[in-house]
Amino acid sequence: MRGKEKTSILLLDDEPIVSKRLKPSLEKRGYEVEAFTDGFSALQRIKERKFDIVVTDLKMEGIDGMHFLTEVKKKFPETEVIVITGFATMQTAKESFQKGVFDFLAKPFKIKEITEVIKRAENRQRERASK
Amino acid sequence: MNLLRRIRHKFSRRHVEEYSFVGIFKRFQEIVEMNNRLLGLIARANDKLGGDYIFDKQYIRSLCAEISDLVQKLIFNLDSIAPKKYRALYDVFNRIQEDIDELLAGRIVPRDIELILPYEKISRDIVEAVGSKNANLAEIKSVLGFLIPRGFAITTASFEAFLKYNQLDTAINELISKWRDDKLSTGETAREIQQMIGAGIIPSDLEKAIRNVLDRLPDIECFAVRSSALGEDGHRSFAGQYKSILNVPADKIPEAYKRVLASTYSEKAMEYRKSIGFTEWEVAMAVGCQEMVDVKASGVLYTMDPNAPGQDIMLISATWGLGVPVVSGEAPTDHFVVSRKPPYKIKEVDLVHKETEVLAEKNGGTSLRSLSREKSDQVCLSNKNIKQIAEAGIVIEKFFKRPQDIEFGINKQGQLVILQARPLAIKSIESPDASDLAMISTKYPVIFRDKGAIAQKGVALGTVFIVKDETDLQHFPSGAILVSRFASPILAKVLVRASGLITEVGSPTGHLATIAREYRVPAIMGAEGATKILKDGQEITLDAEENIVYQGIVKELQQYSLKQEAIEETYEYRLLRRVLRKIEPLNLVDPMDKHFTPEACKTMHDIIRFVHEKAVNELIEFKYYKHRDQGTASGKLKWNIPLDMVIIDIGGGLSTPPHNKVILPEQIVSIPMQSVLEGLARPGAWNNDPMSVDLGSFMSSMTRTFSTQLASPRYVGQNLAVISRNYSNISLRLGYHFTMVDAYISENINDNYAYFRFFGGVTDEMRRSRRAKLLGKALAHFDFRTEIHGDLVVARIKKFPEPMMRKRLYIIGVLIGFSRQLDVRMASDHSISEYLEKFKLVMEDDNERERENQHIVT
Repeated sequence: MRGKEKTSILLLDDEPIVSKRLKPSLEKRGYEVEAFTDGFSALQRIKERKFDIVVTDLKMEGIDGMHFLTEVKKKFPETEVIVITGFATMQTAKESFQKGVFDFLAKPFKIKEITEVIKRAENRQRERASK
Repeated sequence: MNLLRRIRHKFSRRHVEEYSFVGIFKRFQEIVEMNNRLLGLIARANDKLGGDYIFDKQYIRSLCAEISDLVQKLIFNLDSIAPKKYRALYDVFNRIQEDIDELLAGRIVPRDIELILPYEKISRDIVEAVGSKNANLAEIKSVLGFLIPRGFAITTASFEAFLKYNQLDTAINELISKWRDDKLSTGETAREIQQMIGAGIIPSDLEKAIRNVLDRLPDIECFAVRSSALGEDGHRSFAGQYKSILNVPADKIPEAYKRVLASTYSEKAMEYRKSIGFTEWEVAMAVGCQEMVDVKASGVLYTMDPNAPGQDIMLISATWGLGVPVVSGEAPTDHFVVSRKPPYKIKEVDLVHKETEVLAEKNGGTSLRSLSREKSDQVCLSNKNIKQIAEAGIVIEKFFKRPQDIEFGINKQGQLVILQARPLAIKSIESPDASDLAMISTKYPVIFRDKGAIAQKGVALGTVFIVKDETDLQHFPSGAILVSRFASPILAKVLVRASGLITEVGSPTGHLATIAREYRVPAIMGAEGATKILKDGQEITLDAEENIVYQGIVKELQQYSLKQEAIEETYEYRLLRRVLRKIEPLNLVDPMDKHFTPEACKTMHDIIRFVHEKAVNELIEFKYYKHRDQGTASGKLKWNIPLDMVIIDIGGGLSTPPHNKVILPEQIVSIPMQSVLEGLARPGAWNNDPMSVDLGSFMSSMTRTFSTQLASPRYVGQNLAVISRNYSNISLRLGYHFTMVDAYISENINDNYAYFRFFGGVTDEMRRSRRAKLLGKALAHFDFRTEIHGDLVVARIKKFPEPMMRKRLYIIGVLIGFSRQLDVRMASDHSISEYLEKFKLVMEDDNERERENQHIVT
């Protein structure tokens, strides 16, 4: 692990099953993961600390994922945001990319698919840091 | 024209339009299109159960919405082709849809569950009907082979029936709502509901069902009546929440049943459910009625020490007679500490003075009896018993993937009888630190990785046992990791006791892999050189999640795997499986069967199948028999291959009109149709005409084993092709296979496409999926974009120039010809590549000949 710090990931999805399955798989691959099922707590957490990567759903009961990711990008522009959603329309995709979202993953997805996206996000951060 | 005539004229014109062939054919094409989409949707949904995907409830809801929307449209389209003829489909659809809605709302559908099920008929697939305790116990016998008491389950359908009969369902819901809104205390709610249940009357059909099952067990006088609630399984243990009543005389079962039902709503149970977030809608109580075993001694085994899960020990508490004191903790009992590893050394014995034992009374109930002085200080389990119990514990734990809390008895013959098994709550298994997990592959020596393929996911720790021949199997120690050169089905007999499996040869689709999945034994197959690299007796950790074999015992992985909730135990997984059971199974296979009716449709797939079959029939009926439309021509194909095909020409597909409704192959000028027929006619593709050396011999060897029954005209169904000069839509039912070809070929390259779908068939699942793989590979070899899901093959190709498109349709023809027989021959995975190579060779041989012909022409 070359002595460097672990990549931190914040996970936000209102359906507990998503974090329940995703968190351990990501931890097993060496990531530090905090999972949330409500937007309010996630927003609170964002005020306290920075995450390298944020994985969030868009359409959630009582939470606006778009609002959440906007806040994240406002506070930490270098945090890469990955959107996972079951309702991928062109409109939402366009809007999220405008907000600086790194990538868009349609639910359901394979664990391998999301870890690949996360790896790419890490690479981009590394590239940016070395510039 | 007077008004009346004008109206009549207008009306008849509309009539003609509605019933014109073009209109009907458009509906038919829509049906075909939706049919394809539906089968794809269902197949992809099934893939989600494999464990690789992360999906949520939202996915399941939108999947169901999409499927029912399409099925509804299918029915609508069939109704417009054949007005009012199949209206019953709407009712059938609504019924299935209601069931699905109930499931999505979190309710279990008891509609098709019997009131009573004997243990022999129970498996984990019907856990919703019998509760987890019953399901587990039944599989402990049927899969793992241990002794259990004889008996039966009173299912959740009985629970629902009881509530309904006594009009308690709404009353309970009202009370629960009040309780949830804090308008009623838990105590009051529980008391009221329990009183209502206690005052309820057992419906007469349930009483009769209980009497019937008891008649079949005439020698059993008394039963243990145990709760078996839904959701008790998995990582939630409802230990001690619900009631169990011992030694109930057979004729008192209905009363005992009510008492156990009432315990569903004990204050304790309600509070507990609330605390773990278990919804009240998921509550359904099944009950198990088990023969009272005449025991010498009984006890409880914990397969792990709940306070020190890291230690490799098991705990046993036991006493003389019935196990009541062990469970209640009211009297001192003997304790044993046993190693978790074979040969299960007894590490500690704590022998106590036992004054009394609980015994079953002849006429029901239990009593406390004094023990003789000699017996009081005697150890209640023999060493042999203890080892038996320990070994059983490990096997059961391995199977259910959780530490277990097992109630057992030793019968008068000294045999071990498993009375109950449920997950053991271990709070202190600490999830290993994430970095520990990520660092494992640097911390522990990796023996090999990514060799072979994962056949069953999971983590196994144990010593290597290499099997060279069958005689080795006699010495196989329980809990060892089975390593073998071949994936021979002989290994199945010890696999149930193995903690892991590694083979050098074999694949995840083989027979042994299926057995490994059935027993939930983590397995890697096709790991070349494994028997040479690994040594007998070597301790290893098999990580069949990441496909790595480590030297030594990797504790972190063990703890991780025990803590992990298996995907099978998540609510979403159960929900998807439940709704798929209303969608996926195909019950209507034979259209000749008198039960091929709307009323017989039990699933969405049945409806899909029915609509497609009838749409084809209606088209044939309309065009061929009634000959209603003058713009098109139709007839039956007369050919040496008994296709029994009706051809409808919608424009330029035939060179001359059919004579007496007979069409000869040479009349067909439809480009795609011509090519498909040429393929079918290729020597060897359909019959065993001894012509072509390669495919001919290969085909004839296949046709020899091809059952004559399948070859009879009855099973070669009525087939249909709708053609024009450039277009063909071919629906074929050959044997039990359904094939569909939809293609357009013209000079305009951008318009060209071909769609091929193959589905269904007799023979076992394994062979069917092999056949699907072969077809998929063969088509992919010829540039088709193919998708395979189980037995469904979909292949597409587009925008190829005309000669190449013709060739592709020809290939489809050849493939259709032999695929109807292929599955009978696909006895091993090896045969896939073997036949594929032969097929490619034959096709190249064709190419050669083509080139030669061209040469002669030029």
